[in-house]
Amino acid sequence: MSVSRRSFFSGLSASLGGAVGAAEAATPGIRAQVGGPRWGMVVDTAKCIGCQACTVSCIMENAVPEDSFRTIVSTYEVREGDRTAMVMLPRLCNHCEDPPCIPVCPVGATYQRADGIVVVNADACVGCAYCVQACPYDARFINHETQKADKCTFCAHRVDAGLLPACVESCVGGARIFGDLNDPGSTVSRLLAKNESKVLKPEMETGPRVYYLGLDDAFLGKVEAEPTLWHPSHRQEARS
Amino acid sequence: MNPVVEVLNVTREAAWLPWAVQYFFLIGLSVGCFLLTLPGFAFARPAWLRLARLALIGALVCGFAAPVALLADLHQPGRFWRFYAHPNLNSWMAWGAFFIPGYLGGLCLYAWAALRPGLATAPAPARAGLLRRAWRLAALPWLPPLPRLLPLAAAWAAGFAALVLLYTGMEVMVLRARPLWATPFLPVQFAVTALAGAIGLVLVLDRLLPPRDRGMEAVLNRLLALSLAAALAVGGAWLATGLLGLDATHAAALASVAHSPEWRVTAIWAALAAAVPAALALWRPAGTGWLSGLIALHAAWMFRWTVFIGGQTVPKTGAGLYAYHLPLGHDGLLGILGTGGFCLFLLIALTALLPWEAAGPARAAEAAAAPVTPAAPGRA
Repeated sequence: MSVSRRSFFSGLSASLGGAVGAAEAATPGIRAQVGGPRWGMVVDTAKCIGCQACTVSCIMENAVPEDSFRTIVSTYEVREGDRTAMVMLPRLCNHCEDPPCIPVCPVGATYQRADGIVVVNADACVGCAYCVQACPYDARFINHETQKADKCTFCAHRVDAGLLPACVESCVGGARIFGDLNDPGSTVSRLLAKNESKVLKPEMETGPRVYYLGLDDAFLGKVEAEPTLWHPSHRQEARS
Repeated sequence: MNPVVEVLNVTREAAWLPWAVQYFFLIGLSVGCFLLTLPGFAFARPAWLRLARLALIGALVCGFAAPVALLADLHQPGRFWRFYAHPNLNSWMAWGAFFIPGYLGGLCLYAWAALRPGLATAPAPARAGLLRRAWRLAALPWLPPLPRLLPLAAAWAAGFAALVLLYTGMEVMVLRARPLWATPFLPVQFAVTALAGAIGLVLVLDRLLPPRDRGMEAVLNRLLALSLAAALAVGGAWLATGLLGLDATHAAALASVAHSPEWRVTAIWAALAAAVPAALALWRPAGTGWLSGLIALHAAWMFRWTVFIGGQTVPKTGAGLYAYHLPLGHDGLLGILGTGGFCLFLLIALTALLPWEAAGPARAAEAAAAPVTPAAPGRA
């Protein structure tokens, strides 16, 4: 299944018609049939302008609480001689093939769907934050409103309805491309076949399914840089 | 000047709160104190009897307070039942949920077996007839003497104590996402500092609950110096592994904090917190126990604070270090002080309500029954 934005729109009505089946696929324990999709994302960093539209649309779509983020575009200024350039690095859950967040969960609340999306069963989560510690990408956090683990779900509710994740839908430069990695004809598969791609922290051997095009090796792990001055907690302090 | 400037990124707050520090500190102290009771109670060494009695109080106080801190860290304590209803046995934390009651159940049984002879025979404080009747009832007089219960309960509790030490270390060590935690030195250091802290606690209790025993103090101080020397050795081995680049994870862990002045001060402070009480314990083994004990307690707590709170200030992907400000409410200072207050309450309650000075194997209790003064159990 090739999942470009256009094909999503064209298949929207059909997908909405099959909403019942999609809901079943999202239920824990019910695996999709063999040969189903394996969702993944390709991020073309050359196309990202750092507008944070993805950050905002994710917050609006998923009711992410204030001062928390499921995705963000880390922004760096790089100086080389007389030249200065900006590096944009959209970060989100990598929906790893071997997610380190799953085995540590003491109650099995976090799990991987048959289509590869890693989700949290909020009804079962005890808020122990073990998964938050285990994620090498800092992609998880404790939601202050629910006091449970929270993370990017690739907007699974939208995907199940045949829509794109909110961050992909809103990306101004078309830097985020979402699709089925199992389909050799999908846009993501063709991009990965044609271009050299990288994943974050490959040494962790988690098998990330978010791939980056055009990203320098210096930004794959913990970035050695002058730290940013702004912290969300500063605003809370100023308010109190 | 670094050619890369992080213009915009997100700060991730510490997800494991000071409650976690309190839990790991208290459960470590409890296990350490329990181990210190074994020579006097399980192996019936008369010279270790007072030490064992003080250590039993320490094990019970810290053992009862530790799970309270752990539940508080769940943000919603009522969720704990899910650990038992839906355990994921791939998780060390899930195993821990079974080890904790196993240990505490064994500890309570062990304490009852040690206290039973005293409950049956020790004279209660003056004008405390009700307390004496409660003691007699708590001794379950309709049951026959159970001389094998104490060593059996000791074996049960010792097994679970080892599992608690194992799981608390492994639970943190398996987190490869944090290089500072992903080291086999960590479980060893948790165990060694837990023992040092427990020895420190017994030294402080010896001061608080007279009559003081100088001979025991000297023995404890020697043990303290040994355990702190071991802690310094383990810390030194971790540092050497990182400095010499013998392992990439250790080198990354060291590199993530080496540039920070705060972490350097912390490292010096930690080394002094271990070296000073060790030197004090060797220099003056008698008369300084309360001071070396307090510093050792501080060292055990500080190690856990540095590991958990300090460790979470190291970003996994971002630059520099996250700032941590201790909240004043229940998720911060109030939680720490509240745990301390709860421990103090338990200490007063247990020493006031239990004939702890007569605890031990049956023969020891009979010997202790005679010299116990009427006001003894209420001295705290």
